[in-house]
Amino acid sequence: MTLAPEKKSKKTKKLSMKARYEALTRGLDWEPSYVAKDEMFPHLDYEGIKIHDWAAWEDPFRLTIDSYCKYQAEKDKRLYAVLDGFAQGQGHLSLTDASYLNAMKVFIQGVTPLEYGAHRHFAYLARHFAGPGPRFAALCQSIDEIRHMQTEIHTLSNYNKYYSGMHNWPENFDRVWYLSVPKSFFEDALSCGPFEFLIAVGFSFEYLLTNLLFVPFMSGASFNGDLPTMTFGFSAQSDESRHMTLGLEAIKFLLEQDEANVEIVQGWIDKWFWRSYRVTALVAQMLDYMLPRKVMSWKESFELYFEEQMLGGLFEDLAFYGIKPPRHVEDAIKEKELLSHQVYWTLYQFSFAAGFTTTAPTDEHLDWLSQAYPDTFDKYYRPLWEKEKKNIENGGRHFARGLPQLCQVCQVPMLFTEPGEPSVLAQHESEFEGEIYHTCSNGCQWIFDREPEKYRQAWLPVHQILQGNCGGPTVPDVLEWYGLQDGDAGEYIGSRDHKNWVAWQGEAAADTAAPTEKAGA
Amino acid sequence: MAIKSLGEYNFPSRSAAENYGDDQLVSVWFQDTLWFAAPVMFRAPRAMTWAEFKDQLFVPFAEEDPDYDPAAGRTWTLHGKPFEPQDGQSLADLGVRHKDVIGTRVAA
Repeated sequence: MTLAPEKKSKKTKKLSMKARYEALTRGLDWEPSYVAKDEMFPHLDYEGIKIHDWAAWEDPFRLTIDSYCKYQAEKDKRLYAVLDGFAQGQGHLSLTDASYLNAMKVFIQGVTPLEYGAHRHFAYLARHFAGPGPRFAALCQSIDEIRHMQTEIHTLSNYNKYYSGMHNWPENFDRVWYLSVPKSFFEDALSCGPFEFLIAVGFSFEYLLTNLLFVPFMSGASFNGDLPTMTFGFSAQSDESRHMTLGLEAIKFLLEQDEANVEIVQGWIDKWFWRSYRVTALVAQMLDYMLPRKVMSWKESFELYFEEQMLGGLFEDLAFYGIKPPRHVEDAIKEKELLSHQVYWTLYQFSFAAGFTTTAPTDEHLDWLSQAYPDTFDKYYRPLWEKEKKNIENGGRHFARGLPQLCQVCQVPMLFTEPGEPSVLAQHESEFEGEIYHTCSNGCQWIFDREPEKYRQAWLPVHQILQGNCGGPTVPDVLEWYGLQDGDAGEYIGSRDHKNWVAWQGEAAADTAAPTEKAGA
Repeated sequence: MAIKSLGEYNFPSRSAAENYGDDQLVSVWFQDTLWFAAPVMFRAPRAMTWAEFKDQLFVPFAEEDPDYDPAAGRTWTLHGKPFEPQDGQSLADLGVRHKDVIGTRVAA
């Protein structure tokens, strides 16, 4: 028997991208026959969201697993080539200053674990949504998020060889006081149902505020000689823009499915705008204080990425569905002149118990701040730093001799002021089942009063330290329990990182100077 | 608004008074200076007298401010109202509850 050569006309045709996507996602879906559909997807009703047609979900990217992997692998190759080159060439010595890395310490301690949290919950959405389109989109995002966590770790691990504060970030995240801000934020989202999580993280965090969160860190890296982090940023950027598109698709999908969804979604936007916005407080101080070479002020960043792009663009489009700008957004706008100063002043006086160091701004830095914040800095904050300058000259250094009162919702110390009254610290009090709870703002109080059962369980670091659950009653006990070591915390000037930096810069200068001297001799 | 949840949702407060035995949490809020970035929180026995509270907790914290004047008279507020604690009164006698916030400023 001979086999006839296959005729050309029988050759299988290659499917178009669209057809491949259809075949590999929606084509693999099936109707359950052994169990009822609501048994297979048991978490879709209790939040009150109504979905009538899952097929109406439009996936704007039409990715398939093979194209996804190919694309990501190429990006990884480029990133890891940069990381290798940077490590081999002692690239860390060309940073603007070792103090720049305080921003990256906050990033790996506070942001990287959120990527892992997002990975977990998008995997949950990939299991629980009843439509193959959103399930597949959630699966891709879940893989993105764990990739981001891994690439961030690899990007920053080179610095960990030479600098403090990056050696114990997963445990720091679970224990250290200021890291309870991002941790409790994300755990709040992780304990939501699938639809609220989609609005919390997919929309509010990844769409509304993602540019405010992400761009400052990456631009800061580029301005301060941190090539690896900048390259990581580029590598993640295309994923982030996909996440933003999905966040927007998600909200439109929910709003179009049923009119009754609008009110529920509005409540989530109101809550999650404020929750996410409070987390950006850490970014605000980073931009204005931690970067040796400045990119833009927090105020400028807020105006561009939030007021112009979101309030001016997005919410005008969403008005079509009956969605209003987030509740308390006016308070956030009023705060843009104050936020970074209040937060850094707090970190400055509590950095004796942190995984980073702080230092008083130089005169040049103070002048930059005065210029960037002409209406507030000279009036409220410059006098504090001038007083601190004298304090330092007299042998002091402002470290608070106690623990701060914390907000029950955002867990930030109660450092914020009442809207329009920059010298009046805000104190909001709610009572629930006989116990009083304090919140830092109208936004956090509204969130507490809406779901007091949720927030009363908060693991507030200060309350836990005072309860004796954090290693012991003294500061060294707590620092040991945090897993912090000498050199991680405190004042930057004279710290281990600072001393090493000065010594290494001296050696580097001597190395480059030596041949020139010889040549001249 | 009740929480929307898959099952019963009722968990205790992690900061409830019973976790602190005979003590309670008390915050002091400096209302006339931004030197202290946020109010300070102490753990103090309910039976502690006002004099002890001042000498053992308040003063050591406050004197870190180079402008702190131990001789200056101070006014105090509790629950938003002025109050005039006497040295011999205990925190419990004064009506200071768990997690209460005591406001203070230098008297005009």
